Amino acid sequence: MDEELKLVITSSPHLRDETTVPWIMRQVVLALLPTTIWGVYFFGVSTTLLTILLSVGSTIGFEALSCKIFKRPLSVTDGSAVVTGLLLGLSLPPYAPFWLPIVGGGAAIFLGKEMFGGLGQNVFNPALVGRAVLLVSWPKAMSTWWVNTPFDFSTLAESGAASLGVGMVTTPTPLGIVRMYGYNALHQVDPHILWHLFLGQVPGCIGEVSTLLLLVGFLYLWWRGIVHWDIPLFYFIGLSLIAILGGQSALFYILSGGAVMGACFMATDYVTSPISSKGRYLFGLGAGAIAGVIRLLGAYPEGVIFGILTMNALVPFLDRLLPRRFGVGKSEAKVR
Amino acid sequence: MKLKTFPGGVHTPTFKELTAAKPIKEFSLPSRVVLPLLQHAGAPLSPLVQKGDKVKRGQKIADIEAFISAPLHSPLAGTVAGVEDYFHPLLGRFPALIIENDGSGEEERKDPLSNIESKDPAFLREWIREGGMVGLGGAAFPTHVKVSPPSGKKIDSFILNGSECEPYLTCDYRVMVERPSTILAGLRVLVRACGAERAFIGIEENKIEAIEKFSKLVKDLPFPTQVVPLLTKYPQGSEKQLVFSILRREVPPGGLPLDVGAVVNNVQTSWAIGRMAEEGLPLIERVITVTGDCLKNSENIQVPLGTVLSDLVDFCGGWTETPQKVVMGGPMMGVAQTSLQVPVIKGTSGFVFLNHLYEKKEYSCIRCRRCIDACPMRLFPTMLGKFAEYQAFDEAKENRVLDCMECGACSYVCPANISLTHLIRLAKAEIMRRSRKGKANG
Repeated sequence: MDEELKLVITSSPHLRDETTVPWIMRQVVLALLPTTIWGVYFFGVSTTLLTILLSVGSTIGFEALSCKIFKRPLSVTDGSAVVTGLLLGLSLPPYAPFWLPIVGGGAAIFLGKEMFGGLGQNVFNPALVGRAVLLVSWPKAMSTWWVNTPFDFSTLAESGAASLGVGMVTTPTPLGIVRMYGYNALHQVDPHILWHLFLGQVPGCIGEVSTLLLLVGFLYLWWRGIVHWDIPLFYFIGLSLIAILGGQSALFYILSGGAVMGACFMATDYVTSPISSKGRYLFGLGAGAIAGVIRLLGAYPEGVIFGILTMNALVPFLDRLLPRRFGVGKSEAKVR
Repeated sequence: MKLKTFPGGVHTPTFKELTAAKPIKEFSLPSRVVLPLLQHAGAPLSPLVQKGDKVKRGQKIADIEAFISAPLHSPLAGTVAGVEDYFHPLLGRFPALIIENDGSGEEERKDPLSNIESKDPAFLREWIREGGMVGLGGAAFPTHVKVSPPSGKKIDSFILNGSECEPYLTCDYRVMVERPSTILAGLRVLVRACGAERAFIGIEENKIEAIEKFSKLVKDLPFPTQVVPLLTKYPQGSEKQLVFSILRREVPPGGLPLDVGAVVNNVQTSWAIGRMAEEGLPLIERVITVTGDCLKNSENIQVPLGTVLSDLVDFCGGWTETPQKVVMGGPMMGVAQTSLQVPVIKGTSGFVFLNHLYEKKEYSCIRCRRCIDACPMRLFPTMLGKFAEYQAFDEAKENRVLDCMECGACSYVCPANISLTHLIRLAKAEIMRRSRKGKANG
């Protein structure tokens, strides 16, 4: 018997499954493709594609740059920067100036992620950090909505439509109209508003308009075992509760703005959501409720961003909610 | 068929097709055996024989006066060559009795056991201990201890564990398929010894043939016995998970199934006990699976304890490619070996030879929750792993790290390939060390 064997010694287990971090990131990108394609098609290639590409390029570039500055191994291959860039790009308005996604990507990666120590260490969702920085710094650029005329709601807006070439006008979003004139006014402009919101035929951010396609992407991730349904469900419960308390249509609150994108793709971000189940219920509920309160009472028409960022900060606390310990509690009664 | 199961766990490839259909082969008596003086969970043994003594097959050769221990018997007739430090599959090196085969084939057998149901349970427990019986699933906990309910605790259910949830291993399956009546003879002894009113036989549903065989045979038993098909999921064979799956009872932290009125034993333990009842032979042989992706012939083999691994490799025809790793037990909880000189001990369920090792890049934890969903004990492995890394042992303890049974499910699923089980093991060891030190100082 050959005693020259060089045997590898490691502690158990000696098997691993095939799931890896880059594979998960690729699935998320795949899940975002339907809504991305719709956004590009609906708002027009020229007004959207460059924004998305610049955003993804910016997050990748800034991540590589940060790795160099902080002397860390190059981490762009894990794919998380692509997800952040895509999420940020999809949450910008069509026809955003070219520097908007670049600055946003830098803020997302540098402030939102690398400053905390890179992947897995950040407290706040990087894409939302980038978006929040842009929204606070350049509110006008972040809330000027260009859209093809059939879905133009500008007849109500006093400022009127500013036209840009053939068929493109600026217009308020449904949430903006409701904020200024109330839900009835919106209903007058578009009697099928809920249906259009569901399909995605409304002004809004590039990747946030189609509830249907966002849900398709979410269901794909759920089927792949990548996301749980718990955070989105409790998010919608929280948002609906506030809508009902405020005398608004719960369905409209869910379908409009970035609520579906936020609940399904932003609040479910692994790194910045709780790992405790009980914590996740509260996290979803809180993020949805805060978004509702901001929509109802805040200065901004949309509250999804700050709702999730606020709850991000509470994650370390929420993770202290452990499940019932195995063999303690409930089951003791059963034992004689 | 309604399958019972437990929350958490993982679905691994089973790799059982390598050996599942292969009948048990008998390994002829080797020229010498190496018998470590610690083969069970408990106190090490003292030899009862000296260098130069003649011993018979089945003769008791080592024992100790301690409740949590089990004596050792010689698997062959021969001469004691001495007590030496020798390779041990779990402990590195440990003193072992070495016996050289003299070819005489002399035997010492006990009287077969009849009228099991009329025997006194206390007598049966002592009889089990004298047979050197320990759990053959891998943990090697002395069987007589498991069937001794502490005063004031009533055992109502006996569970025979035929899950064999570790990938690659098929020895329990083969014993169930080939020797079911001996297993049931052992079951009668065990049920009588612990005073249970009813029995369950839990078998994963990928072992259809075993389920069918037992379903027919259990009708003849003198107590109600139910064959329970279980979902094929790792770690179904873990005691706490098995008790939960079948009885919906949770064993408390740090407790035993006894605490919830149950006793669990492995099917092969039951076979060994049944064999002693029928043939009078104590635990001197067991069935193991020798398998892997680089072995010429993977086999299920009945081997004498103390057989050295290199002899088993020869028995299997050597390997097709040089193995990178040799694991005693299954690949999920088994221990990587440093040498082919290790002997088979009571807790050896098999050896797995691996050439193609996993290659997976390590990343930072992305908090994906896969380890939490996989943990059958409802722990947060990622959190415990971080506490271990930061040496925050008090926090680890507060977060129940001692509930971990090191099944390996968390490391298996981690997409960032973080060795969570290893980190948790370190934290547990350090906490235990400190608590022993604390006791010693107090």
